[in-house]
Parts: sequence; structure tokens; C-alpha cells
Amino acid sequence: MQYMLLITEDESIYGGDDGAKLMEATLAGHMKLIEALSVSGREWSGNRLKGADTATTIKYTGGVGALHDGPYSETHEELGGYYIVEADDLDGAIEWARMIPLPGNGGIEVRPIWPNDE
Amino acid sequence: MIERARSIAEARPRVIAALAVHLRDLDLAEDAFAEAAAKCLELPQTPRNVGGWLLTAARRKAVDAIRRREAEARAAAGSLGVAEQADDMADILKLSEPIADERLRLIFICCHPAIALEARAALALKVICGLPVKEIARVFVTSQQTMFQRITRAKAKVQAAGIAFELPPRKAWGERLEAVLLTLELAYTAAFQDAAGERDDELSSEVERLARMVAELLPEEPEALGLTALILLARSRERARVDGDGAMVPLSQQDTEKWDYPAIEQARRWMDSAAQLGATGPYQVMAAIQLTHARRGFDGDTDWAAIAALYDALMVMRPGAMTAINRAVALAKVQGAACGLEALEGMDAEALQNARPFYAARGELLAQLGQNDAAAQALDRAIALDPARAEMLFLKAKRMEVLGQN
Repeated sequence: MQYMLLITEDESIYGGDDGAKLMEATLAGHMKLIEALSVSGREWSGNRLKGADTATTIKYTGGVGALHDGPYSETHEELGGYYIVEADDLDGAIEWARMIPLPGNGGIEVRPIWPNDE
Repeated sequence: MIERARSIAEARPRVIAALAVHLRDLDLAEDAFAEAAAKCLELPQTPRNVGGWLLTAARRKAVDAIRRREAEARAAAGSLGVAEQADDMADILKLSEPIADERLRLIFICCHPAIALEARAALALKVICGLPVKEIARVFVTSQQTMFQRITRAKAKVQAAGIAFELPPRKAWGERLEAVLLTLELAYTAAFQDAAGERDDELSSEVERLARMVAELLPEEPEALGLTALILLARSRERARVDGDGAMVPLSQQDTEKWDYPAIEQARRWMDSAAQLGATGPYQVMAAIQLTHARRGFDGDTDWAAIAALYDALMVMRPGAMTAINRAVALAKVQGAACGLEALEGMDAEALQNARPFYAARGELLAQLGQNDAAAQALDRAIALDPARAEMLFLKAKRMEVLGQN
């Protein structure tokens, strides 16, 4: 099964004095995960997204869309990136998800992807 | 016939687990089992091996259901995917005998931490024990429809999120086992919360069945044994919890002749096995507290100092309001009511989710100190918090007693 791992976190901790260092450590964690994913031989993909301040949302009300400056949900935690991984089952996907570094507050949402043949 | 229904209920966890794991579909397994059970009840004679008979019959029902489903799918979308389905069918027909024990797999499916805790308990009681949705709804104080939706949603998540029908690898057991034990604990708490009131034998015996099963399947897990011992100890007092008028009888005043001693003995054996595994935990401590209470049935006396010390340990492992209240009550027995009351005063009653036990304990301790007006006030507050009938009768009697002394 394919799962999408959505990374939502409070990015403010990457500001501040120790922010750069923390970001470096986090990226190193991602590199480790990417290596493990590559070694596994299973199909995967993933991307880091630019900051939430770069987001534009088309917000729909009753099917009528209007452009809106900012991300869809106005919370402290923002969608910052994602992976798409192959796993036998939810436990396998959760195992990959746990390898995503997240030093502050936030969450990793694990969602099965609707298969193409259903 | 009652005998046969009981055999069917006893065979259920094993048969349903084998079906579910093989079919990889909880609904299909449940439906097939229900049809097979109904057919079994119609037989002129009870089959010699009820479990085997049910499995064979349910397997046939499942194959019929899959064929029907396939025919519908074919009608809808041409003949694609038929070959693959035929392989599945051969697999189902091969389902082995004697029945492989897949109960642990089924427990791990129903109690997966990706399913909400209440839904997990409901799912386990429904699928493994076959408890009717109406019963489960009653225990969790919700409507039948809400409970039905909750269970349906949980089953859909198992399928859609890809919850494994395999046993988790041993290294992943920590979190998974905790989820299983929490589920069992919730089922137990729900089943026993009004056990003093309108007692429900079927439900509490199903929870016991589930607990015994977990202990039997996980003999190397001390906390699983501890929790099962705890549940069994609670069950051992069922007949002593209510007096002739239907009022709750507190543990320390129960007639020990009404306790179930074989159950206490079994609980003790499980706790011994748990202790030998050498890793303590909150469930084992809770069971130890209940076993210390049970000793009154043998010694005629309660070792309150030991109980207070166990509550101290529990407060460290798993702090909580109920533990703090029970600790204060035990402390009162050892060092006097004033001391227990002092321990209670440290708690913020307003912040408690359920303040009833707090006021009941406070009323009791104030009464012991002869502060009858204050005691009656505390009991009034407990009564105002809508206790179950048995507890209500107990609290009201206590209040009368306190006021009578003025």
C-alpha cells in the first residue's frame, strides 16, 4: 500500500539563535530517512515545501472559490513537507513516519493513498 | 439448548479469529459466524466438535458471500479480476483444521492504537466476544445508533488504513501491548462501574473471558497477567457487592463468605507468575492491592499499612485522582481519619472529572471524626452527583446514620 506522510510542525523553532543548528540537525535526520528509503528498494517520493507565508489558498464557499493569501488552516503548525512511501500495512508506514525528525511541536499524519485501481 | 449456546459462545473467539485472519475482513467473518451459529442452533443434535463444525459452516457461508459479491461486481464491471478472486477462494477452502489459534492476531487488530480507545473496546467486545451492540452501547452510556456507527467506523478504518492482519514484530510490542491492556482496562471499568447497581453478568463475564484469553496468550507479559488478576479479583466479589436492599456494600464490609475463592486463587497464581517475570508495573500493583484486600477472607483482617504502601507506589507509577483518594482512605485506616482527611484536602475537588468518590470519602472520614454536619454536607454533594442506584442507596443510608448521631 502507498501512504502519504504529512509533516505539520511549528516552524518558529527554526528561527531564534539556535535555529540554524536545529535545522541542520533536522535536515540530517531527513537525509538518514531518505537513505533508508532508498536502501529499502521500495518506491518513494517526498518534498520539502516553502514556508507557509508563501502559500496561496483558493477558499471555496458553496462551490465558489476566492483567492486567499496564506495557508488553508491558520494555526501555529504548518504543513512543511511530505513523503509518499510504500508499506505492507499501517504499522510499516508508521515506522517510516517515526523516522521523520520533528524536534518541536507538530505531528505526522499517516494517510493511505487511494489506489488507482479502485 | 442453553448448553449448546454456551458452547458456541466459547468457541467464538477461536473460530472468528481464524475466519477474520483468513478472510482479512472482520465484517465477513462476523456475518459468516452469525449464520453458522444460527444454523448450529437448528441442528437436531449438538455436533461433537462445535468449534470445528462452526468453522466449516462459516467458511461455506463466507464463500457464498464472496461469490455473491463477485457476481455483483462482474455484473457491474465486466469480467475483470475474476482469476485473482478464484485464487482467494481456493485459499479459503483450504482453511486448516484443527483451527489455528489466531486469537492474538485478532486482538492486536481490534486493539490497534490507530483506533480510538473507546472504539477499540467496543470492537473487541463486539467481534471477539460477540456482544450485541445494544449491550455495548449501554456500558459506554451512549445510544445504540452512535455505538453502531462507532464500530462501523472502526472496522472501516481497519480496512482502509491498512491495519495489518499479521502479528506485529516482537520489537514493536511495547506500544501495541499497552494499547491492548488499555482496551481491556476500559472494558473492565465500564463493565464494573455500575456492577454494584444493575449488575450485568453477561457483560462482566465476557470481559473476564477476554482478560483470561489475553493472559493465556501472553504468559510472558507480567502486566497482562497483572491486569487479568485484577479483573478476576473484582469478579470474585460480585456476589458480595450489593446487600439485600440493593445498596452497595463497601469492600471492607463485604461478607467474605460470598467471595469466589477459586477465582481469588487463580488471580494469585497469575500474580505469582507475573512476579517471576521480574518487571513490576501499575496493573500488578493494583492487583496486589486487591489481593491484600482479599486476604481478609483468609485472615479475617486487612493489612492497611501494606495497602497504603502499595498506593504510594501506584501514585509514583500512575498518579491519578482515584488513586489519591484511595490512598487517603488507606492512610486514614493506618494513621487515623485526620491524617486521611489531610491527604484529601490537598486535592482540588473542582478540578476532578468525577468528584463523587472524593466527596464520598470525605464524608466518611469526617463522620469518623465526629464532624457530622460537615460529613452530611459532603455526602449531599456526592448524592447530588448522580450515582448509580446501589451507590445512591449506600450514600443515603450513610447520611441518615450521620444525621442520626446529631
